[in-house]
Amino acid sequence: MIYLDNSATTRPFDSVIETMARCMRETYFNASAAYRPAVEVERAIRACRQAIAAQVGAQEEEVYFTSGGTESDNLAILGVASLLRQPANFVCSAIEHPAVLETIRRVESMGHEVRVMPINRFGVVDLEACASLIDEHTALVSCMQVSNETGAIQPVEQIARLARAKNKNVRVHVDGVQGFMRVPMQMERMGVDLYSLSGHKIHGPKGIGALVVKKGVRLAPQMTGGGQEKNLRSGTYDSPAILGLHQAVLEMGQRRAEIDRLRAMKARLWSQLAKAEGVRLNGLPVDDPCSAPHVLSVSFEGVRGEVMRNALEGAGILVSTGSACASHKQKVSATLRAMGLSTEQADGTIRISLGMMNTMEEMDEAAAQMIALHKQLQAFRRR
Amino acid sequence: MRELLLVRYGEVFLKGQNRPFFLRKLVDHVREAVSGLGGRVWLSDGRIYVSDFTDMQACIRRVTRVFGVHSVSPAVEMEKDNFEAICEQAARMMAPLQGTFKVLARRSDKRYPLDSPAIMREAGGYILEHVPHLQVDVNHPDHEMMIEIRSHAYLSVEKIMAVGGMPMGTNGKACLLLSGGIDSPVAGFMIAKRGVEICCVHYHSFPYTSERAREKVLELARELSDYCGKIRVHVVPFTEIQMQIHEKCPENYTTLIMRRYMMRIAERIAREEGAQALITGESVGQVASQTMEALGCTDEVVGMPVFRPVIGMDKSEIIERAEQIGTFATSSLPYEDCCTIFTPKHPATHPRVELIRKAEEKLDSQTLIEAALDGTEVVELG
Repeated sequence: MIYLDNSATTRPFDSVIETMARCMRETYFNASAAYRPAVEVERAIRACRQAIAAQVGAQEEEVYFTSGGTESDNLAILGVASLLRQPANFVCSAIEHPAVLETIRRVESMGHEVRVMPINRFGVVDLEACASLIDEHTALVSCMQVSNETGAIQPVEQIARLARAKNKNVRVHVDGVQGFMRVPMQMERMGVDLYSLSGHKIHGPKGIGALVVKKGVRLAPQMTGGGQEKNLRSGTYDSPAILGLHQAVLEMGQRRAEIDRLRAMKARLWSQLAKAEGVRLNGLPVDDPCSAPHVLSVSFEGVRGEVMRNALEGAGILVSTGSACASHKQKVSATLRAMGLSTEQADGTIRISLGMMNTMEEMDEAAAQMIALHKQLQAFRRR
Repeated sequence: MRELLLVRYGEVFLKGQNRPFFLRKLVDHVREAVSGLGGRVWLSDGRIYVSDFTDMQACIRRVTRVFGVHSVSPAVEMEKDNFEAICEQAARMMAPLQGTFKVLARRSDKRYPLDSPAIMREAGGYILEHVPHLQVDVNHPDHEMMIEIRSHAYLSVEKIMAVGGMPMGTNGKACLLLSGGIDSPVAGFMIAKRGVEICCVHYHSFPYTSERAREKVLELARELSDYCGKIRVHVVPFTEIQMQIHEKCPENYTTLIMRRYMMRIAERIAREEGAQALITGESVGQVASQTMEALGCTDEVVGMPVFRPVIGMDKSEIIERAEQIGTFATSSLPYEDCCTIFTPKHPATHPRVELIRKAEEKLDSQTLIEAALDGTEVVELG
């Protein structure tokens, strides 16, 4: 099997699995308890905080553990909205993940205005339009770091700068689920106040993530209880998951050089596909510095993405159409339509996403299969 | 004193000399239905009784889904000699209820000192006296307390309607063409309800349909198996046939020709399974392949009866039925089935059968059908 759906989730590193198993078997103590073994668990959790903070240019006490990307996004947006006394406006990009988009819609129903930043034909937020949307009543600007559909790296630093210039009190949130540890993030330098990340996209466990909150940014907790995470996120520490996340961060860090290998694999895959007729790359060229190293959106002329995906599965290659979160809805991707693709082109799109466990040989094999299946399936189309 | 379920059967009553056969089947099915719940099942006095179960609600849910069962009542069985105790128990059972009531009585033990009217009068009076918030209404009561005097006394208030129909396996076997849509599970249910054992055929068009589409159909079969018991689903690889039709036949006839191949293969599978008829979810006029002429063209290739129980139903009626049965949610999942993916833009609504026959001559039917049957996978559910 060749697994090319790493933006949906990744296979955990063996070291992650071992760390978690050991934690469940031996150091299962409640990190908030008073005895020594519990204190050691707390220390291990702290080490994870430090590791994450070091990756994103933040301090350890700014890292708050959550159940993953969705909860982090909810906490950031609702946490800001709940503290507002007057109607304000919220700005987000047109291509946000549903975890952001649906949460922003909830904010709209609370009486705030929602403004959407359009994207250009490369799937990148249009900065000019963005500038005109932000004003003194903007409470939060939210933009993803990397598009889960096209892999386009978004200009979050410029957006943050634009936003601050218009309104010094604005909060900037970045959904970094697809970017964390594959695309650099320096919150302090880039002017990001809130950063969501998830464990299972970097070969860590599912069900764990974090929201990094810059000091001085106030949020209203969305969960009440035992007061963990300085009252912002109650709930017993999921220590096996946190330790697993820590291990994933460590191993990703040790293998930092391999990010270039991801990029090379993506380039190799596309160079093979580009030779065939009727295959289109959506978004930025693969060698563009703003194209993330691991996500590739490709349209096959005359073959529906769903059919291509099924056929690839038959050949032992797993990919997704559009993005997995949306693919059960069977709608043509709004992102791709906004990028100027025809309905047919958008419908003919698959998303290929790479992870640390993929190999160059797999790229050749996958490209060959895709081209062969495309030919085969294209011969047979609706008349 | 103990709790048990009193199970009434419906149409089986109408049977003459072969009634014991039907009843034996029915009791077997009730026994099967409650087997995981430790229930004891027996037939007595024209009723089926279920006792010694671990979970009454689960038991009721399962028994009300057995074809042939008319209704189920949770009942209390007690010694019949102490009439005072019976009245006390009746009052206890009525106390949590609101509104109006009446007492019904039946006495199969004719030596019992009180006759039925006397039981009704006495017990009714007792309840009225001890449960003062209830009123009597003999014409349109909210609740009926049923007291039956047989070997023991049986008291019941609640009556839960069951699916009805005839015991499974008393009316032969038929093969259902299960697509994954809303109509075919309803069609299968309606025929199964008449005591007909069901097996299913599903046409799978990988890669044009996904693994999830296949899973959806298996889930529908599993939902039907709640009523019918174990179901075998034959998953037939259909892509090659569809491609050949698409390549070689006139576009406006592709759907009909496809339907004819489905029928041919289903008949072969039906004969292997020992089934005597096919079942489809077609409804007259619903789509182009379901006009009267089109149905005639599909039937032409089948040598056994084709049952279409939803033929005269509106879509809304079929949906309502699917909701009752519990297959609607699964049917509504969005995965495409093989019927929608190859649809021509302008399908023939008044097809001419000689044109179809001529078009089919271009296909190597024998080889195509054999290959499809060879590749068929059988999954057993329930």
